[in-house]
Amino acid sequence: MNVLIVEDDRALARELGLFLYDEHYHCDYARTGREASEKLFVNEYDFVLLDLGLPDQDGLELLAQARRERNKDASIIILSARGSVDDRINGLNLGADDYLPKPYSLLELGSRMQAVTRRKHGVVEDKLAFGGFVLNLSDRSLKHGDTPIVVTRKEFDLLHYLLLHRAKVLTRLQLSEHIWGSTMTDSSDHDSNYIDVHVKNVRKKLAQADAENEWIETVRGIGYRLRPDNATPAPAPAPAPAA
Amino acid sequence: MKLQQKLVLLTTLSKGLMAAILLLALPWVVQTLVMRHTDSALRTELRQVQARIAQVGIGEFLPQGPAMRRTHYDLLQDEFIDLQATTSQPFRDTIGTFPRRQHGAAVDFRVLRHSGYYQGQLYTFEIGKSIASVEDVYDLLRTSAGYALAFTVLTTLLIELGVIGHLLQPVDHIVERLRAVRGPQAPDFPPLRTTTSDFQYLDASIQQMLLKIQRVFEQERQFIANASHELLTPISILQNRFENMLRAENLPEEAEAQLVTSQKTLQRMTATLRTLLLISRVENNQFPRNETVDVREVLTDAVEELEDRIGHKQISLQWNLTGQPMLAPASRTLIFTLIINLLSNAIKYNRAGGEIEISGQPEAGEAYVLNIRNTGKPIAADNLPHLFERFRRFDPEAAEGEGLGLAVVRSIAQLHFVQITVTSEKGPGTTFSLRLPPLVLLPTP
Repeated sequence: MNVLIVEDDRALARELGLFLYDEHYHCDYARTGREASEKLFVNEYDFVLLDLGLPDQDGLELLAQARRERNKDASIIILSARGSVDDRINGLNLGADDYLPKPYSLLELGSRMQAVTRRKHGVVEDKLAFGGFVLNLSDRSLKHGDTPIVVTRKEFDLLHYLLLHRAKVLTRLQLSEHIWGSTMTDSSDHDSNYIDVHVKNVRKKLAQADAENEWIETVRGIGYRLRPDNATPAPAPAPAPAA
Repeated sequence: MKLQQKLVLLTTLSKGLMAAILLLALPWVVQTLVMRHTDSALRTELRQVQARIAQVGIGEFLPQGPAMRRTHYDLLQDEFIDLQATTSQPFRDTIGTFPRRQHGAAVDFRVLRHSGYYQGQLYTFEIGKSIASVEDVYDLLRTSAGYALAFTVLTTLLIELGVIGHLLQPVDHIVERLRAVRGPQAPDFPPLRTTTSDFQYLDASIQQMLLKIQRVFEQERQFIANASHELLTPISILQNRFENMLRAENLPEEAEAQLVTSQKTLQRMTATLRTLLLISRVENNQFPRNETVDVREVLTDAVEELEDRIGHKQISLQWNLTGQPMLAPASRTLIFTLIINLLSNAIKYNRAGGEIEISGQPEAGEAYVLNIRNTGKPIAADNLPHLFERFRRFDPEAAEGEGLGLAVVRSIAQLHFVQITVTSEKGPGTTFSLRLPPLVLLPTP
């Protein structure tokens, strides 16, 4: 998949590119509005990652332009440090597919990109499974076989996120970023201990249904991952990362 | 009291005072005037009598015989002329008021006494006028003067009311305009139409002030935008770099641990910066307040968001909310932030197994009072006034944090005209009370 990264800060564009390359995206870069316009005119992209604060142009103008001309079908995700309240609303109104305020976690960006791709291709999975467990995304419930397991909203989000990035290590920070977003204003509310508590509770609940397997693994000091599914019969596959 | 009322009251009082003085002084004035008039009439009459005597001789006026005295009354008996021969010394003319019997009743007469020689004999003249007639005139005068005064006072009052009202109209206009100012984007007012230079000056000063405020707001807005960009971009770079580094397969464990620690530090910095920017944006009025917010619904959402923490600390949550608390015009995002900060504090500073009570009731005068009480350690009374200051933290044992949560709460509350008070006691615990202003109906778009 082709991605155009419109970002005036080289270092930031580089980190973004590294991550996306790793995720099997092909990246192109533009540092100014003009450069971006040219590239949008010549090439076709699946994704445009758009910084709003460009040196020569307001990113929102570029967004409107891209929506009018070529690349009408490109998915556009706004990445902005401006964080003004109107930016988000205007951006989405102008046809952006998503909006992430800086600083964001790369993993979160990757997840959003996957979600946009799935939406665009009309893939509506309302069920995800691992081991004998099934997550129902439409009514946000968890079942093991036919036995329902009661989980809180945050616990569901946590399990869902781990499952989306199955077999990868997710840091506490990435998890807390996903679960809490920027709702909380005090950093203590982001305390990674809360993630540990959530994980502990989810583990307990999973163990009640399936005492034999430890599905959520602790990875050293870094974080957690959902164990890959080797021993158990193949469940419905987790969505393949868009490649 | 309004200026107009004060001015009217002032003129009314001063007019009333003048009228009262006039009415009080009236008897004396009338008396004096009437006496003077009577006295001069008496003198004229005396001269006429003297002239008549000179013409026809004194004998005409006197009865024949030894009595040598005669009193003439006019038809209505309120005037008399008394002529009498006397043997005493002559005296100068005097005028005085003397009682006189008339038909059995004592009546006051103004009397001119005069002495003079006629044909070698000394005579005394007394010419009198009854004062009863004077009193009549006085009564009449007083009544008509009273009416005239009342009429004058009322008429001038009405005129002044109108004129003062008209003169002070610009004040109302100015106040109206100031009220219409709802934020940094001051509406462009046409210059005030008035010929009073004071008001023109006032209007010009206000316009200038509004422009200045607008400029300051604009600068602040620009600063916030720049600060956001300049500070958040490097943080972004670091955060993404740490994330990428941690993805590397063959990282030594020690390096991993250090990266995680650095990431945490960075996270703290991000949260603080975001919060400071949030406060600035709230204070710079950058959040549109154009929603009607159902506070109960926001509370429910916030509680759901925090249910895990409430459960983890085994806190029991009690709802005692009566009525339908609403807030408008408001920003739902901000009200949610306010509530979740208060609730998160109520959990953070609570004891394990403690209690949180969300209660509220409408108060007289349409305000709604919402209370969020927690059974945490009481806050020292000395600290209460400083609770909402930025970077204030009082409990050294409490969880890490920057002490910005309540500063956010305060700025959001102020933006929405919500009064916030805290009480803290051993026993019931700490209560944050929000006094929601009466609902302002939003214009339907």
